Amino acid sequence: MRWGMVIDLKRCIACYGCQLACKAEHGTPPGVFFARVLKHEEGQFPSVRQLFLPVLCNHCEEPPCVDVCPTGASSKNDADGIVSIDPDVCVGCRSCMMACPYSNRYFNDKPQHYFPQGPTPFEQRRGADHQRDVVMKCNFCKDRVAAGKEPACVANCVTVARVFGDLDDPNSEVSRLIKERGGFPLHPELGTKPSVYYLPA
Amino acid sequence: MQTHTADSHSAPVADDAWLPSACALCYASCSIRAHRVDGTVVKIEGNPDSVVGKGRLCGKGVTGIMTQYDPNRLTKPLRRTNPKKGLGEDPGWKEISWDEALDEIAAVLERVRQEDPRKLVVQRTTTVSASGMPFRAFSAAFGTPNVSASGGGIHCGNGAHLISGTMHASWSVVPDFAYCNYAMYFGASKGHAAGHASGSNMGLAADARARGMKMVVVDPMANFAGAKATEWVPIRVGTDAALALSMAQVMVRELGIYDRAYLQAKTNGAYLIGADQRYVRDAASNQPLVWDTAAGVARPFSEVAAADMALEGSFSAGGRDCEPAFAKLKAHLAKFTPEWAETVCTVPAKNIRRLAAEFASEACIGSTIVIEGVTLPYRPVAAIAFRGNQGHLNSNYNFIAVDLLNQLVGAADVVGSCLGFNPACKGFPENGRLRYLPKPDADGLMVAGMWLGFHYPYPPTEPRLPQNLGLQDLFVMGLNSIFINSSDQEAFWQKFDLPYRPEVLINFGANLVMAIGNGEVVAKSLERYKFMVSFDLFLTETSQFADIVLPDASYLQMTDSRANFPFMFSLPGGMGEWCWPIRQQIVPLDGEQRRFTDVLLDLADRMGMRTDLNAAYNAAMNLQAPYRLEGDRPYSYEEICDADLKSNFGAERGLDWFKQHGLIKWKKQPQEVYWRPFLDVRVPIYWEFLGPVWEGINTICAPRGIDIAKEYYAPLPDFLPCHSHRCTKPGFDFYAFYYRDVLHTNSFTMENPWLDEAASLDPFSYTIAINEQSARERGLRDGQSVWVTSESGRRVKGRLRLTQAVHPDGLGIAACAGHWSSGMPVAKGKGVFFNELLEVDFEHVSPINLSLDLCVKASLTPA
Repeated sequence: MRWGMVIDLKRCIACYGCQLACKAEHGTPPGVFFARVLKHEEGQFPSVRQLFLPVLCNHCEEPPCVDVCPTGASSKNDADGIVSIDPDVCVGCRSCMMACPYSNRYFNDKPQHYFPQGPTPFEQRRGADHQRDVVMKCNFCKDRVAAGKEPACVANCVTVARVFGDLDDPNSEVSRLIKERGGFPLHPELGTKPSVYYLPA
Repeated sequence: MQTHTADSHSAPVADDAWLPSACALCYASCSIRAHRVDGTVVKIEGNPDSVVGKGRLCGKGVTGIMTQYDPNRLTKPLRRTNPKKGLGEDPGWKEISWDEALDEIAAVLERVRQEDPRKLVVQRTTTVSASGMPFRAFSAAFGTPNVSASGGGIHCGNGAHLISGTMHASWSVVPDFAYCNYAMYFGASKGHAAGHASGSNMGLAADARARGMKMVVVDPMANFAGAKATEWVPIRVGTDAALALSMAQVMVRELGIYDRAYLQAKTNGAYLIGADQRYVRDAASNQPLVWDTAAGVARPFSEVAAADMALEGSFSAGGRDCEPAFAKLKAHLAKFTPEWAETVCTVPAKNIRRLAAEFASEACIGSTIVIEGVTLPYRPVAAIAFRGNQGHLNSNYNFIAVDLLNQLVGAADVVGSCLGFNPACKGFPENGRLRYLPKPDADGLMVAGMWLGFHYPYPPTEPRLPQNLGLQDLFVMGLNSIFINSSDQEAFWQKFDLPYRPEVLINFGANLVMAIGNGEVVAKSLERYKFMVSFDLFLTETSQFADIVLPDASYLQMTDSRANFPFMFSLPGGMGEWCWPIRQQIVPLDGEQRRFTDVLLDLADRMGMRTDLNAAYNAAMNLQAPYRLEGDRPYSYEEICDADLKSNFGAERGLDWFKQHGLIKWKKQPQEVYWRPFLDVRVPIYWEFLGPVWEGINTICAPRGIDIAKEYYAPLPDFLPCHSHRCTKPGFDFYAFYYRDVLHTNSFTMENPWLDEAASLDPFSYTIAINEQSARERGLRDGQSVWVTSESGRRVKGRLRLTQAVHPDGLGIAACAGHWSSGMPVAKGKGVFFNELLEVDFEHVSPINLSLDLCVKASLTPA
């Protein structure tokens, strides 16, 4: 099987619920976002379109980040397609950050908590496992998924713009949406074969 | 009543629990589940059992943990040592004990209550909407009418609430997302950023978009609703009435499309109007007369079949020449040609004609639909206005004009149409409690079944020589009032011989200095209080004026029995379920923090006011035997919540039951959601009663040298310009305006580091949006620092963001940012303090409903 996600750009309103639900789920430090929302506009006044693009690791089938990793810290699980980083093996060389064409990897060298007074009780619990000076990124909430839950950004999306499922199953909702609504990945020309698809706005 | 003995102050230990409760990052109060592990909250998610948010949260909602654990939270009561108050004054805070603080406050309150209880002003934030009940009860028991919410003007919708109340019996309006095919938004973001039931509406609006609902967004900026619109209609700030009235003109006069049967049966369109702009009444019954086309005579409206009521023609009744109200409206609309409107609002005339034709055609006038076996009118169009539309001098007409589009096609509280939020409830099925329905007054016009705040929207009360500081008992179409903080308050109070002055302010969480208008003006109003106490999470710009600051509990440390009641405030509209969730304490209080609800009870005990407070709770909560609070018994707030819940939902469903289950819900009926055809009530398309309101106000004001512009009180809506539209000062080329950001609630959330970080990365949250071409023509660059200066010389600094998505003469600025308090270090220095530009005086409010004008003609200069 291969986990994948479909994000419906028609439904998304850029409320930042995904970006912040992800932060709450993983307790990521300042400057590190496993999920983000980008804004872009097209056209000229008054025929202008504001485009909202939620992004996260694409969990590519051909992940360039894995290819360049000198230590094997970045790897793809062939059983489910999830690309993840083993912080114990990562040496923080950041080659993967340069290799990722989507800029969805973050180097954790910033302060490890938000308030200068020290970590909050929440951060002490949620952020305790994060390691400094390693690269971090979205892991499709694999712990949640293993427990039978959806990734945090999917479960929380207030506009129900995100669907998670098995891309290898032609009958899954993600496969059906991609087929019926013309789902597309970002930068398919790069040959990375992302597992995150978008439905047109 | 039974009492309940849970010790809410004890810290939970060695636990791992998911607890249902309610968010309070904004007043939508979405239902949450909080995950607590060993006393620490480690996750907040939406509560999937609830219809309020449906298990999902917006960006703000998931960040509450960081507000809860902000080390800048207050933990001890503070007293100022520097008696001098001012914007630049250091209060010299000194920690004091709760006993010391409460004894001092109680002594001051006791004295003031004996002298004249009206000297107490109670000001609260709307963000914790459940604070309404405790403060309402406390103020009522104390005896002061001077209660204000939301900072007195800019953040609230005097026009939106009053007109929604008059026309839809609800605090606000939304499209019936499940069935609407064509929604037109005027200065509203419902379902896309902020507003009542905001989280719930986001999901409903997304469903509507996916279903194919067309969405036309009339707005100076294409940011939230505009970004998701099928069509963005850029408009000059504050000119919505010109567009809406012109569309009405096209529909009624050029196309001749309107819902005749609806106008006859559900509006006062058939009521005969004399030359004096008043109803022609039946001598015997005093009812307004209509012309009975079957009988060929004028008769009281209640005696004539709606289909026989004339909407047009000239008649003679009781010896007076008269015409139906609709005929008056039709004649009045003649001047609003699209060509005229284009010159005012900048929307091209051909687009106005097209939009009017689309709206009229999509309304499917005359059609019906069957919902759950009930045949109902089907009008799948909605014209929706909110904050941006009516935050102007022309507040009332801007909102009335937009809603008139709904009324003309009968798209009001029927399937697919403009809906009030839950204005009709047949009650909890087991016992009929919570029943409320709109009902007619003697003239047949609708009186809301449930309301919040100063007075019901209709009928207006008789204007009187004001006894309230906000003058709402004189300006009876007003709700929140600037006079609590305006620069001219003393002059007005003197003119009206107000027999007292405010002496004590209890502030709950509001940041008045930033939330109303120019900070200096508001600061002066705060300096004048002899004593001010402020319940706060942080030391805000406003707490700096307090004598005593009390460290409040966060929403994760509080219990409230009614997180989403009244239903017309934050429960989603449309079909689905009625839902009553509670808020419960998730984590213990830190340091010496106390919940304001407990503090108010403690103060009442110290003042010897408990009997009155218990009685006030009985009345405000409408508690029924055997749950009525007795005598001066010192109930805890949790016990009062328990009584409230049992009184409404039965002995077995007290606070303990709700703490476990989180909420109770039951199915809505089509006759509740689409109540309009089932209730014999009418709404005004001719605001006949405004003339007498003006006369009443003018009778009091004119002898005192106060001119009340009569043109704001006409029975038919008009376009009236704001000060900004009349400004001809060279170099003042831009209309600066304010909008509500999706990431922030008022001035409060900028201190949340996750929201602040997201806002810092967002292109617009902390910048000044300017049309790219307008900027380039003036040699201004993206990211450049500029001064925005108002016509009166007020100025604020900010960074420009060049965009195609704003009107060429608009400057869009988000929320009320730009904090300077060191008590909110995350928020400090972020964003633009737009409100600084706003004058706070009678000249700058709507002369009919006291809404502060939020648009400012401004110049831009490099900083």
